[in-house]
Amino acid sequence: MTSTTGELLQGTLAILILKALLPGRPTHGYGIARWLEATTDDVLRIEEGSLYPALRRVEDRGWVTSEWGLSENNRRARFYTITPTGRAHLRAEGAVWLRYAAAVTRVLHAAPALA
Amino acid sequence: MPNVPVWRRYLRFWGPDVDADVEEELGFHLEMRARDFEAMGMTPDEARRAAQERFGDVERVGGELRDHDRRRARARHRREYMSDLLQDLRYAMRGLVRTPGFTAVAVTTLALGIGATTAIFSVVNGVLLRPLPYPDAGRVAIIWMDNRRMGLHEDIHSWPNYVDLKTQTRSFASMTAYSEGGYNVTGACTSGTCEPQRVPAVRATADLFAVLGVRPLAGRVFRAEEEEQERDAVVVIGHGLWTRMFGADPAAVGRTLRLNGRERTVIGVMPAGFAFPNAETELWVPLVLPPQLKEGRNSFWLWVVGRLRPGVTLESAQADMTALARRLEEQYPGNRDYGVHLVSLPQQVVGPSVRTALWVMLGAVAAVLLIGCANVANLMLSRAAVREREVGVRLALGASRGRLVRQLLTESVLLAALGGALGVALAWAGLRVLTGLAPADIPRLDEVRIDGLVLAVTLVVVVATGILFGLVPALQSSRPDLFEALREGGRGGTAGRVGHRLRRTLAAAQVALVVVLLTGAGLLIRSFLELQQVQLGFRPDHLLTMQLTLPGAKYQQDAQRVAFFDALIERTRTLPGVRGVGAISSIFLSKTPNSTNFTIEGRPASRDVSNAEVPLDAITPDYFRVMGIPLTRGRAFTAQDVVTAPPVVIVNESMARRFWPGEDPLGKRFKYGDLESEAPWTTIVGVVGDMRRTGFDAPVRYETFLPLAQTAYGSMTLVVRTTGEPLSLAPAIRSAVRAIDPDQPVYQVRSMDQLLSEMVAQRRFSMALLGTFAGLALLLGLVGVYGVTSFLVAQRTREVGLRIALGAQPAQLVGMVVRQGMAVAAIGLGVGLVAALAGGRLMSGLLYGVSPADAVTLVAVIGLLVLATLLANYVPARRAARVDPLVALRSE
Repeated sequence: MTSTTGELLQGTLAILILKALLPGRPTHGYGIARWLEATTDDVLRIEEGSLYPALRRVEDRGWVTSEWGLSENNRRARFYTITPTGRAHLRAEGAVWLRYAAAVTRVLHAAPALA
Repeated sequence: MPNVPVWRRYLRFWGPDVDADVEEELGFHLEMRARDFEAMGMTPDEARRAAQERFGDVERVGGELRDHDRRRARARHRREYMSDLLQDLRYAMRGLVRTPGFTAVAVTTLALGIGATTAIFSVVNGVLLRPLPYPDAGRVAIIWMDNRRMGLHEDIHSWPNYVDLKTQTRSFASMTAYSEGGYNVTGACTSGTCEPQRVPAVRATADLFAVLGVRPLAGRVFRAEEEEQERDAVVVIGHGLWTRMFGADPAAVGRTLRLNGRERTVIGVMPAGFAFPNAETELWVPLVLPPQLKEGRNSFWLWVVGRLRPGVTLESAQADMTALARRLEEQYPGNRDYGVHLVSLPQQVVGPSVRTALWVMLGAVAAVLLIGCANVANLMLSRAAVREREVGVRLALGASRGRLVRQLLTESVLLAALGGALGVALAWAGLRVLTGLAPADIPRLDEVRIDGLVLAVTLVVVVATGILFGLVPALQSSRPDLFEALREGGRGGTAGRVGHRLRRTLAAAQVALVVVLLTGAGLLIRSFLELQQVQLGFRPDHLLTMQLTLPGAKYQQDAQRVAFFDALIERTRTLPGVRGVGAISSIFLSKTPNSTNFTIEGRPASRDVSNAEVPLDAITPDYFRVMGIPLTRGRAFTAQDVVTAPPVVIVNESMARRFWPGEDPLGKRFKYGDLESEAPWTTIVGVVGDMRRTGFDAPVRYETFLPLAQTAYGSMTLVVRTTGEPLSLAPAIRSAVRAIDPDQPVYQVRSMDQLLSEMVAQRRFSMALLGTFAGLALLLGLVGVYGVTSFLVAQRTREVGLRIALGAQPAQLVGMVVRQGMAVAAIGLGVGLVAALAGGRLMSGLLYGVSPADAVTLVAVIGLLVLATLLANYVPARRAARVDPLVALRSE
């Protein structure tokens, strides 16, 4: 349980949400939270409350759409689906992220080694 | 895929339920998390707490989401509205293009109505609503002398009276006195016309500019210490004169102008638009009080204007001034029956008759617009009847009635907007014609234009008319019983009984409005004709008139002035085409002529004599003969009535009858002023016929005429009786004037016909305008009646065919249809007559010699309308009766 939660950049959260929705299956907010949790081994333990405003924002930008539906346990829930623009954004933004992360990683690996 | 429950989709129609949605979404999350925690072995309570902890601040996030969703819902609502609107507009546009005939008729009708309304409203706006170019002009008041002796509410003051008012008032912050006049302006101009010109001027106390609150554009205005002989050689000039004579050069300040031959330094230039008291006034000079008028309590020659002290209303000022006038009446016997009457400047500039006329015109165009609206509403109803099936289908397919009404209203407002756009163009063009034709004495006409306010009002009118003529047809056509509309098949069915009643109501309303307008126009026409019957008391044909004012500086001696006019008359008399020539100090009198009281010799002072005031007019011996004014007793003046001869006077019949009833006035003597006055006794040597000198619609006054040779006036009007067209003689007479004195300007060169026509120009203009509107209303109204009858008859084609087949005579059928149509018209006629009687009273100020309930006018209007509506009903009825029964029956 490492506490790197902190303040995840807004843009980062959007990337994570889009990635969670990438398979194309309509998913509710809790589903997205669970997927992030499982994928990151709960390392990026995001505050779940901030997930929903972020979902509104990505919806406003047209990267996802939402629709009401019934959950697996027959409850009414709001399902989110990624849009083609969302995919395009994820692809572009993801690439930037990967380059950035790789660069930071290289810096951190450079001598002298960390303690 | 998740299922969307039907109930939710239904609710969505009203927009998303934001609060419930947010609560549900977050609730679902917390519940799921708690369930997972429970599966990991927590108790339900622990699980719920842990879920909330993990989530963070549920309240804050919930609030944030609700705000966001609400914003989004609103934005979407707007978007949908706009897209619906666009869709409606496209739909309406297509509909209008598909029926070009209907569109053209409707747009033209509306353009006429809206255009006329816009044009008249611009006039109302420019003349009545837009403030005068003086700050807080409503707080400036004309302080009139209420002359109860003469029954003149708006009379002018004497100097001592003005001083008393100014020093004793508590209601006015500043007060000024002025006298109007004019100057012959010569020389010193740097550009433009350098010919001698006559410029209307004002001699005023320096307070004038403070009262009006206007500062000069360049230079300064005059000061109180300049109101003295020798120090008064200054002049403030108007913007127009500055441009005309100095090419708007700022260096004009400091130059000199010769006014009546005397040099004055230009000290200031007033801004454009400053024109007080008249639009033509362009010179303001200090008022220098002539010594003999300083104590002259019975010499009335000053206009007085003041600015109210802050916080004082016109009413309280009136009360204050009335009390003040009463004190003066007690103090000075000569002030008996002199009160004070205040009129605010805006009210004074645009008098009640112009005000009434303009509001009447605005009412008239509004009525024309309403009649036009009724016609378009009728057309829309017919159109709706044709579309009934389409509407029925759309309703059946689930379109809401509100949505349909909105769409139909979009169409009518679009029509109104097209009419409005065309109307504004018409108004723009119409205004140029209107202001070109309008009489010059409608004040502020040059300020009339289509400005922002006018356009804003037009926009409101457009939307209002669009809704007015569109709403009822829209409600009507979106309401038919679905089954009925569908069952009626392709036959463009009836809009039902309600529709028929609606059409008849519209037709009756149109007739009523037309009656009101025709009556108004009829009353004005009758007044005008009545006025033309007024006996003027002289022969107005073939008369040329022109004014000359001799400058006092150049013509100081009485003999010089008399000699000038003698010479002028001598030269003019011999010109070819001249049958006679005379001169008078003024042919017509203003409402406040210079006048004085008089005392009859050997008769004890009585109230009715000392209360009478008479104007003093100077004439040349031939004046009455040239004018064709009959000399009923005694003699005219002769060349022997000179200064050294005994003073003589000629009075008019009204005066002779009033003051020497049953006596021979010839040889009787009276003197001007009181018994003690230094004026000499003058002997009456002649009596002349009465003449309307204050205008057609004013009563005849008592008048006295003196020989010019004994009065030596410097300002006279030359009157020339010609054999041919009067104005063609003007150049010859001008050169006669130049031959005597090349610096002497001649002004107001007019034929008598022109003068008389100017006197009735306002009435003629009102009459022509209202007549035009009434004609337009009649035309539109008849189209309306015709349209309704045609439609109702067409609806009954089958019935008519059946009746014919059963042997009914065409004449019977025509009679039936016409009877029904006339029943509708009769209702409109009745309502209209009642309204016209009420409306006529509002315009009684514009009438002359006819009562608002003038029987001749009313009978003529009824007759005209009965004939016209008969025709409008007969034509469609006749057509229906000619129908081939077979065709009619098949028309199903």
